[in-house]
Amino acid sequence: MTELIETAADLEPSTRKAFRRLILSIADSKRLLGIRYSDWLLGAPSIEAGIAASSLAQDEWGHARLVYSILKEFDEDPLELEHQRSSHEYCSADPLDHPFPDWAAVTAGIVVVDGALTVLLRGLGEGAHQALSGRVAKMLAEEEYHRDLGSAWFRRLADSRGEGRERLTAEVAGMLPPTLDAFFPLDTAQERLVEAGVLPASTLLRERFRDETAELLSLVGAEVPVDTEPPGDWDPVRGRGPGHPDEEAVERARGDRNRALFVE
Amino acid sequence: MLERTYDVFARKGRGDALAHIGYLEALDDELARVYAWKTYDEERWFEMIIVPRSAIIAVNREDGPFAANRETAGREGGA
Repeated sequence: MTELIETAADLEPSTRKAFRRLILSIADSKRLLGIRYSDWLLGAPSIEAGIAASSLAQDEWGHARLVYSILKEFDEDPLELEHQRSSHEYCSADPLDHPFPDWAAVTAGIVVVDGALTVLLRGLGEGAHQALSGRVAKMLAEEEYHRDLGSAWFRRLADSRGEGRERLTAEVAGMLPPTLDAFFPLDTAQERLVEAGVLPASTLLRERFRDETAELLSLVGAEVPVDTEPPGDWDPVRGRGPGHPDEEAVERARGDRNRALFVE
Repeated sequence: MLERTYDVFARKGRGDALAHIGYLEALDDELARVYAWKTYDEERWFEMIIVPRSAIIAVNREDGPFAANRETAGREGGA
């Protein structure tokens, strides 16, 4: 049986580095996902859908805060990480680099990006890191409603046979590969985490994600590949592609303008 | 796409009576479930249910939001 990890500071250096990347990948993605959802508080297909988007955004920001705080185990100040990093240092998944252009993209984001993150969290809940596994339950309970909202809209758009279906199909195809590479990377850093018992192997998590989404994704002719290699320009330090989130989103995430006026 | 109106009922505790807390519009039951939970989340509800307004039959009133089906229900009942 794998030993429990009371603090990530106890991990050996290369595993610690991989753990830090994992935490930032989850927390930064949730921070950005919250911003992308919040963009649709106004302009959603109905008032109720806008309220749901707002609620999802709040959930994601709360989850991000919970996950960032784990970096205290490395004597890193989560507030500095939240407020002082440049966009080039963000480890968020590539599909969150730009705003979701329409509700089809929001729907694809809920099912693909949010859905994959949830599979990752569930895997961490089974893992040996005590603080992470302890915090996962609350997040997973809130994510149930994200899944229900995403799947309901996904079926609607996939059945629409119009532009909605075309847009959804394109968004899913574009989001799927970089999301898998970001949350279920097939590299040595991730293998170290698996060896330390932090989470199950990426291939197993991909299989779970594939099984959970198979029925929905088949509606737009997509499926989750289990063993794809990341592209050649993939950034192993940040665990994502070579790009970065747009500056405006990161300024909003950091709260630059208002912090300068009222806080600092 | 045609949205339906759903009425939302909830209670705070196991022994409490269900109370009408609001309404919403949704394209189907699945979306209505999520919208209800996310829209009326100001309390930690013990139980929440939704009912399509088209399924509500007014008993004594002929006016108000729930009276729309009264005539139809009467005809169906008498058939």
